[in-house]
Amino acid sequence: MPGESDLSGRILISPQAISTIAAQAALRSYGVVGMGSKNLWDGLAGLVARDPHHGVEIHTTADQVVIDLYVVIEYGTRISVVASSVAHSVRYQVERALGMPVAAVNVHVQDLRVSDTD
Amino acid sequence: MTLTEPIVEGELRFRLMERYRVLDGLLLRLLTEAGMNWLRTNAAVVNALNVFPVPDGDTGTNMTLTMQSAWAEIANLPDRSVGKIAHALAHGALMGARGNSGVILSQLWRGFARSLDERYEVDARGLAAALAEARDTAYKGVVRPVEGTILTVSKDVAEAASQALESGAGSSLEILEAVVRAADDSVQHTPELLPVLKDAGVVDSGGKGLFFILEGMLRAAYRLPLDRPLISIQPLGEMALAEAAESVEPGQDWEVVVDFRPEVPLDLPSFYQRLESMGTSIQVGEGDGLYRMHIHVPDTTQFLPIEYVHTLGTVTNVHLENLMDQMAARAKNAAAPLRLAKVESGQIAVVAVSPGPGLARVFASLGVAALVEGGQTMNPSTQEILGALEDLPTEDILILPNNDNILLTARQVADLTAKRVRVIPTSSVPQGIAAMLAHDPNGDPALVASAMEAALRQVRTGELTLATRSVELDGIAVREGQFIGLLDGRLVVADGSLETAMLSLLEKADASQAELITVYSGADLLPAEAGRLADRIRGAWPKQEVELHEGGQPHYPLILSIE
Repeated sequence: MPGESDLSGRILISPQAISTIAAQAALRSYGVVGMGSKNLWDGLAGLVARDPHHGVEIHTTADQVVIDLYVVIEYGTRISVVASSVAHSVRYQVERALGMPVAAVNVHVQDLRVSDTD
Repeated sequence: MTLTEPIVEGELRFRLMERYRVLDGLLLRLLTEAGMNWLRTNAAVVNALNVFPVPDGDTGTNMTLTMQSAWAEIANLPDRSVGKIAHALAHGALMGARGNSGVILSQLWRGFARSLDERYEVDARGLAAALAEARDTAYKGVVRPVEGTILTVSKDVAEAASQALESGAGSSLEILEAVVRAADDSVQHTPELLPVLKDAGVVDSGGKGLFFILEGMLRAAYRLPLDRPLISIQPLGEMALAEAAESVEPGQDWEVVVDFRPEVPLDLPSFYQRLESMGTSIQVGEGDGLYRMHIHVPDTTQFLPIEYVHTLGTVTNVHLENLMDQMAARAKNAAAPLRLAKVESGQIAVVAVSPGPGLARVFASLGVAALVEGGQTMNPSTQEILGALEDLPTEDILILPNNDNILLTARQVADLTAKRVRVIPTSSVPQGIAAMLAHDPNGDPALVASAMEAALRQVRTGELTLATRSVELDGIAVREGQFIGLLDGRLVVADGSLETAMLSLLEKADASQAELITVYSGADLLPAEAGRLADRIRGAWPKQEVELHEGGQPHYPLILSIE
């Protein structure tokens, strides 16, 4: 996507680059235990390739970035808080790296992981 | 003072060891309540551990609310089984988890409860195992754990418990003592693991919160009070003197604030004791060897505290304020209603976010149709802004967020309403006021918006606030308790005196090229002091026009507009 600059020439940041930042931030966010898949095909591709952008979708328009996260959350945590915290942390990291606002971060909770039964 | 060494000895200690040899449901209840209360008492300390020089933290509040939700589950539970109580606590913590640290805290309780299972009581060995399970559960909740946080503290706590057990601890009390010591140590080491903490010169807030919960438990076992920090010396920057004047009771006629440098190290217990005999609302702050003492005293004895402090060292500054008189003046002010501009259908209405009552008046006088309270540490929600503009009888709305932190919220509002909303990207109050001067309710919305955007660039913004911690930013070393000056959001000066910081900020802003300097005084600044500072500006820049308004904003003693 295009970025503004005072110099002649443009800075172009690919959606791939943005999704790497987003995925790293999501995996450091407490309560997120994995990235999910939008559909079965994505899931297989993610498993095979160990794709670092797995579970992240970037939509860009002229001057806006919208991020969709597909996450797996730990069973037994308060999902609403974990989701808003991952959205907040991804928005912060991406905005800090890009220096431009993110219009929206949508969090799709694709699954819960049960590590222990209480 | 922290409880890093056992303070109870001899016969009493022996009895306590026996009493806490095993924990049943009743003891766990008692300890949990104490942990919650001690955290609540110290929540402000935890909140203050934020990474930037302006206050924005709420970890202490979030953890306290999480603990309160846990406590509410067991408050009326008649069970005496430690396992049942722990499960109920874990459930309550989960349901009420607030913020990231609250979620981690609820996971710690969950692991703790799982380990205790259905047991009626737990001994030292069982307690150490439960702390290990708490740690394991907390770590399972994240793919890439960040060290130097509450997670690390939970790990060190579990390790200390198991070591205490190995070296022969037979009572839960000994485990608790080892755990509090380890938590304190672990918190102190968080900056070494997490560079962002080190840069800001703070320890991790979530870890500190966990420490207070554990220390509160130990304090309860030692039967120490939990309702207030034993002796509270706060950094100067955190002294919230503003709320002092909100409600004044008989016997609090005068507010006395004395800055002083003690000649010999201050003996705090006896210092407090003397002050308590004179008045109420005592606060003591320290920064850089300089102490500030705040007290409310009855009429006719208002000079007593000053005379007393004078015997201890060099008095550098004294403020005396007649609170009764101030209250009367406030009551008179409050009576004058805020008059917002009336807009009609087809006109353009402006919604402005204002951080203080005085600033709200300024905005109202310039033709703002609706106001939303908010600023640096109190960002309004999209709902609040939305509510304000939905009530207006016109379709074309302009929003002045007046703070960078609120800009995105304001933009979100635009997507949530059927009205035509434009956000004028004002990042400070002076920019908002400058933009308002270019407003025309009857113009073409797009043209008015671009005129206002152009106008906001005509003004430079100076903001002065207290640094709540030491930090190095933009090449300027800031010490906690110093005043820092931000020019258009960028840190340009740090100084111990508000006056010096203000003057060098204006210097940096090229005030000599300006025509008008407007001063908006904050809620914490005494009116007489604001007047004196405005006179200093008039003295230093005699060619410029200087205006002083009571802004009433929190945290920022001065906001300056240079145009």
